[in-house]
Amino acid sequence: MQLQRAFTQNRKAELWMELVQTVSGLLLVGFLWTHMIFVASILLGAGAFNKLAHFMEQFYLLHLAVGFIILTVGAHLGAVLRRIPGRWQEQKTVWRHAKIIRHQDTWSWLFQAVTGSAMLLLIIIHVFVVVYAGIDAKLSAGRIHSWMLWFYLVFLVMAEYHASVGLYRALVKWGFVKRHSLKRVLTVVTICTILLGLASIWVFFSLGGSV
Amino acid sequence: MSQRQLTFHIFRYNPETPKSKPDMQVFMLPEEPGMTLFIALNKIREEQDPTLAFDFVCRAGICGSCGMLINGKPTLACKTLTKNLPAEITLMPLPVFKLLGDLSVDTGTWFRDVSLRTEAWVHTNKTFDPMAEEERMSNETALQIYEAERCIECGCCIGGCATANIKPDFIGAAGVNRVGRFMIDPRDERDEQAYYDVVGSEDGIFGCIGLMACDDNCPIGIPLREQLAYVRRKMAVAGWKR
Repeated sequence: MQLQRAFTQNRKAELWMELVQTVSGLLLVGFLWTHMIFVASILLGAGAFNKLAHFMEQFYLLHLAVGFIILTVGAHLGAVLRRIPGRWQEQKTVWRHAKIIRHQDTWSWLFQAVTGSAMLLLIIIHVFVVVYAGIDAKLSAGRIHSWMLWFYLVFLVMAEYHASVGLYRALVKWGFVKRHSLKRVLTVVTICTILLGLASIWVFFSLGGSV
Repeated sequence: MSQRQLTFHIFRYNPETPKSKPDMQVFMLPEEPGMTLFIALNKIREEQDPTLAFDFVCRAGICGSCGMLINGKPTLACKTLTKNLPAEITLMPLPVFKLLGDLSVDTGTWFRDVSLRTEAWVHTNKTFDPMAEEERMSNETALQIYEAERCIECGCCIGGCATANIKPDFIGAAGVNRVGRFMIDPRDERDEQAYYDVVGSEDGIFGCIGLMACDDNCPIGIPLREQLAYVRRKMAVAGWKR
């Protein structure tokens, strides 16, 4: 027993951090998928998209969503930061280790950490743009039909990948699941959500081109 | 079938000679029918380089001394047939454990330390009466205990674990599996809070980030994912009640 250990014998905090990480992660996966289904309303036409956006603004659902995303991303970030190897030596070790043992789920965790870090920046930009510009099919179409197309393509793939790997890991760690069938199911789901997102982006792009 | 020529790239390093640098040495060996890495390494040592250090005892997958990275995969050399490998074979010692030289590591010190820290023995206040009839245990429970007890402490789950590679105090799948074994044992009188004291932490079950290299690499196929999830759920309930 060491002094610092003696002070922290009631180690509830370590369980709490784990729960915050898992629960916030699951909430964010739910948010992302709902969000992408709502965005896909553009497939039904600009009218449907604007109607939905208007409905959400009218009943302050948009404000609620922004508040939710800031809090949940903040909590998730705070909890997962302790997982990212912080020291240079640790970084070298994990990358070399992944290369040596050639293990798929070890690589996917490294990509999970990389996409997570990158997304912090992308989420901040995305939330700012939406909050200051508002939601409207014309505005979105204009944005997609500009250099920001690349921003959204990268963001879409990263977010869906991160969500899928994160969900897989949470279920594998806690649940009664068959790992390999779970992986297959999640791969199909991820491909579908990415395709749905790409379809929405394509519709926005052609809308932006026709104006 | 024509005989294959195997090319071994073997990690060479002796920590006892401070000036030496780690490198990969190449050995050529003709493949033989039914050849395992146990046979191949002994042939290399007998015929080509008597200084090559590696560990084997039982050569039957029971003692757990020959765990190493075979083309990167942590597994037992004695159970690995060369016919299941490509002609180019890379051998490295298991990470995490103290490197004694070449392919030989000290797993014993690590496992003893984890056993002590997790108090991996039956805790009971009953005094043993040699004349009394043994207490009965259901066959199902006995089989569950046996499943976890099959661990031969080869260290493949630990060597393959990225977390164990960067956190020296992390007890890994072998440590968690060992504690899980006592949790189901009715002879152990510890309550869940006593288990939480030894594994409910970042060095224990909450340090696991779910990379599952342990589950993929256990050479004797202990369902480590199930064991980890079982202990995690138990400890979450115990921690919640604290």
